[in-house]
Amino acid sequence: MAWQLVLWLYAFASVISLIALNAYQLINLSDLEFDYINPYDLSSRINAVVIPEFLVQGILCASFLLTWHWFPFLIMAPITYYHINLFLNRRHLIDVTEIFRLLNGEKKYRIIKLAIYFSIFVIVIYRLVMSAVLLLMDEDDGSLESGIF
Amino acid sequence: MQPMGNDKPANVPGRPVLPSPAAPRPSTPFISSGPVVGLGTSGVPQTAAPFLSSGPITGMQMSNYRSSPPPIRYNGPSSPPPPTSYPGQDATTYQQTQAPRFPPPAQPGTPLRVPPPVGLPVTPPMGSLHPQLQIPSVPMGPPPQTAAQSSSRSYMPPPVSESSFSAPRPPPQPSLHGYSNMLPGGNMPPSPAETQFLAPRSVSQPASQQAFPAFHVPPVHASPYHVHQGGVVPPPLPPLGGPLGYNSRGQMQYPSTGPPMGGNLQGLVEEFQSLSVGSAPGSLDHGVDAKSLPRPLNGDEEPIKIQETYPLNCHPRFFRLTTHAIPSSQSLLARWHLPLGAVVHPLAEVPDGEEVPIVNFGPAGVIRCRRCRTYVNPYVTFMDAGRKWRCNLCSLLNDVPGEYYCALDASGRRCDIDQRPELSKGSVEFVAPTEYMVRPPMPPLYFFLIDVSISAVRCGLFEIVAKTIKSCLDELPGFPRTQIGFLTFDSTLHFHNLKSSLTQPQMLVVADLDDIFLPLPDDLLVNLSDSRHVVDALLDILPSMFQDNANVESALGPALKAAFMVMSQLGGKLLVFQSTLPSLGVGRLRLRGDDLRIYGTDKEHTLRVPEDPFYKQMAAEFTKNQISVDIYAFSEKYTDIASLGSLAKYTGGQVYHLPSFQAATHQEKLRYELARDLTRETAWESVMRIRCGKGVRFSTYHGHFMLRSTDLLALPAVDCDKAFAMQLSLEDTLMTTQIVYFQVALLYTSSSGERRIRVHTAAAPVVADLGEMYHQADTGAIISLLSRLAIENTQSHKLEDARQLMQLKLVKSLKEYRNLYVMQHRLGGRLIFPESLKFLPLYVLSLCKSVALRGGYADAPLDERCAAGYNMMILPIRRMLKLLYPGLYKIDENLIKGPEYSEKSSKQLALSAQSLDPRALYIYDDGFSFIIWLGRMLSPDLVNGILGLDVSGFPDLSKLALLEHDNEYSRKLMRILKRLREKDPSCFQLCRVVRQGEQPREGSLLLSNLIEDQTAGTSSYVDWILQVYRQSQSS
Repeated sequence: MAWQLVLWLYAFASVISLIALNAYQLINLSDLEFDYINPYDLSSRINAVVIPEFLVQGILCASFLLTWHWFPFLIMAPITYYHINLFLNRRHLIDVTEIFRLLNGEKKYRIIKLAIYFSIFVIVIYRLVMSAVLLLMDEDDGSLESGIF
Repeated sequence: MQPMGNDKPANVPGRPVLPSPAAPRPSTPFISSGPVVGLGTSGVPQTAAPFLSSGPITGMQMSNYRSSPPPIRYNGPSSPPPPTSYPGQDATTYQQTQAPRFPPPAQPGTPLRVPPPVGLPVTPPMGSLHPQLQIPSVPMGPPPQTAAQSSSRSYMPPPVSESSFSAPRPPPQPSLHGYSNMLPGGNMPPSPAETQFLAPRSVSQPASQQAFPAFHVPPVHASPYHVHQGGVVPPPLPPLGGPLGYNSRGQMQYPSTGPPMGGNLQGLVEEFQSLSVGSAPGSLDHGVDAKSLPRPLNGDEEPIKIQETYPLNCHPRFFRLTTHAIPSSQSLLARWHLPLGAVVHPLAEVPDGEEVPIVNFGPAGVIRCRRCRTYVNPYVTFMDAGRKWRCNLCSLLNDVPGEYYCALDASGRRCDIDQRPELSKGSVEFVAPTEYMVRPPMPPLYFFLIDVSISAVRCGLFEIVAKTIKSCLDELPGFPRTQIGFLTFDSTLHFHNLKSSLTQPQMLVVADLDDIFLPLPDDLLVNLSDSRHVVDALLDILPSMFQDNANVESALGPALKAAFMVMSQLGGKLLVFQSTLPSLGVGRLRLRGDDLRIYGTDKEHTLRVPEDPFYKQMAAEFTKNQISVDIYAFSEKYTDIASLGSLAKYTGGQVYHLPSFQAATHQEKLRYELARDLTRETAWESVMRIRCGKGVRFSTYHGHFMLRSTDLLALPAVDCDKAFAMQLSLEDTLMTTQIVYFQVALLYTSSSGERRIRVHTAAAPVVADLGEMYHQADTGAIISLLSRLAIENTQSHKLEDARQLMQLKLVKSLKEYRNLYVMQHRLGGRLIFPESLKFLPLYVLSLCKSVALRGGYADAPLDERCAAGYNMMILPIRRMLKLLYPGLYKIDENLIKGPEYSEKSSKQLALSAQSLDPRALYIYDDGFSFIIWLGRMLSPDLVNGILGLDVSGFPDLSKLALLEHDNEYSRKLMRILKRLREKDPSCFQLCRVVRQGEQPREGSLLLSNLIEDQTAGTSSYVDWILQVYRQSQSS
């Protein structure tokens, strides 16, 4: 059961980082909207974290699939598909020249992504606690057993 | 003149509007009847406020009223009283009656009528208006008064509103009576004009009466159209017979009112005009008479009338709204299916004598609102004895700096208003102090990036470019600070050292395209006046230097990077001369666009967007460093203008596409346009922002610029040939203000090194009535904005979709308009549209047939399509309309009979093959090129004279350059061409000659551009109108 715990711990870390990256992008986008930063800074900041986010998300999704956790995988799959699509069409980076026209769309996508990340976050926490408790209980059982017997 | 004291601050804005000159203006008094309407319609209750306050005014205004000649104007068009007999009338009758009135719209007077009152916060005129109505009414007793009110309400300015037709029906006669009597009560002495007017009217009356019954039979169709055309050559009197329907009313009046008739008429006229102008329905039936369709044969008519209502607005050449009436609510906006926005042309060329005044505030600094940063403008109001001013955009009370203080006179105006252009003119230029600079103002800088690969050598480009640049050196703006530099490239980059101590330029070759470096830290970019002799030497040897170059590669991407490195410190203008597809290094492009299969699929649009993100990134970097890029593309083969053009698009540049460049034929065009590009007055390192009052917001911007923040347009260089369009959105569901102000501010560095702010201010009324929006619509601005939206649409959708979207917008707007009026007019079988939009269907059709949007794969080469698209994104309204409905003139008689004949014959013709007579010679002018069409049966003498060769041998006319020959015909033709070119100096119209029946050139050059004709896959004008009509009818 230990590997389960490791998996969920890893998932926990990944989801936290995904949420952080997404929130960072969103904050930057709204900063741009309120004119706190210029589009050049915005695009360099966001573009720096786009690929890492894709990687983290992709690996997490793959690990769910490989470990046959179909439910979290299904939640993550649409995002993966969306990311792959963006990447293949080379639209994953912020286009500094058109950013203001795309601003609302970009924000919307990121908010949706953030919502999905949060939902997966809840699941991950739950499973993490579950597996941790189970593991402890197993050990406890063991110790109990050993204690009893 | 302004009696209303400063007791009411709200009035103050109005004050400037109606300065002393206003008093004489007929408009104010006149409005009286109209405006009421405006008030009522705008949702503003007919409050007593204006009324009260203007007690004193009334008298004055009234007197104006009486004495002022202007009313006469109104009478002219006038005639019809309220529509008593309407119900009985057939729609056609209605139209007929309207016909006469078309001329009025042309009259300046018209505008006055409606909008002013609505717009002005609380204007004296309104006050006067009420009093007028009421005072007379009192004697008459309540009934008249109410009648007057109701009638006034019902005669909503633009349209004949439903109520006007149905509601007043029972009471109309008495009410009108009352009304008419009332006005006369004002004792207007019938002015001569009026009496004149009356005479014909009465004469016509009997006839009309007779006609009335007859008209129940549906009359001739399309007659209104004739009228439209008639508008050009207005038949003043015959129309008078028009008001057939009204005659019953007229009867009553005539007997009852003898002398006062003038006034009577006037009041009625008022209503009537609003009828005619507003709803101006045209009618069409199957079997439409093509000749009678409306055509913009006079070119663009700027809505100058707005200037009369809002004399403090900037001239419409700088700023035009798609409709000069802002909807008051989201729901109203949703019913306005056309784009709502503005077209801004900040540096439009002005005729001599109207230059934008320059204001220097000196130590006081530029006066701006603390909160919204609005610049001081004619609409701000001074209060507190001149110590404070209220911002007209955000209503914040600001302090007046000590240096700027000036006492107010009794009416609340500043005493020095006449000396201060910023308080009396809508367009001014402020000299910006150092706070407006992030660095010392840059010098004008020109950097030339010239492709010297074999294709450029072959077409003989260098010689012309080098000569033109050399001839312009003396005229480059900004002497003696001007900087200049050159870089040539093929598969390597050639830098040119122009150090002033050298006698000959040095060429430094860099072959490493992956890791660009500058061989010299400076001296690649030099001060022109210091290094003039070296620059001259370089331009002398440039053509010969590369004449044996056989290199086929072109490393544009690395060259752009190198140019960027050279220029990044200063910014400036980068001119790229590209004659082949970039093939080496970053930014290399591949052939695309010859794939037929991609057309009609969802991927079609990818051909029209930059393929390599390199160009967009480069453009962003250029803009960041204040570099503007102009692209000159010459190749006959595919050069991916879509990608190259994005460099110009995001840097405020321009795309010059001269496909299949041949020195012999194209040199004059290149020479002229390059010279204009170099020598026209240019605004450097500029930013533009458009502020607007509460409740509205500019949401999207269209043109060549880059957005630096949500509403700040970065324009590294901008000049008089570039216009920008933007769309408005409402922020609140309901607008609380009655007037919305707009302020365009362009902060730039002039070539002389001065930082300036050009400010254009405009006001527009908020209306609650869709009809008023239609009434105030501006076809030119709508088309300009619509075309930009369509072009952008083609970059993400199919061409077909973009065209359909435009058609949909047109149809929806006409349907909405129809819903407004069709019921009570019973115009069942007609297409009705507002007078203000009568050309809209034609322009939309023409837009669908324009090079950028027409057909599919085979209808226009991809590069030309993209270049046309880039061009349309920057065109000012006038040139855009010219491009969409080019001029076609018959000039053979001019050539034969001489110039005195020109006035008559240079009338613009309809763009249809039917206009072409094989015995004549025509010239087609779309603002970008001339096409001379020689009829088959044209006299050989004339042809030979013009062409300077014997045409019987069927020479190849495509290679022919039209030169002046030594005979009378040729000289006259050249004079005509010169005159036409002078009309539009921003572009050189290359002249091409085509003979009738010379296929395929005739088809591609001229016939496909005759937009009223049916060509493959597109409908003719008549079909189009029918199509639009059918769609607008189906619900």
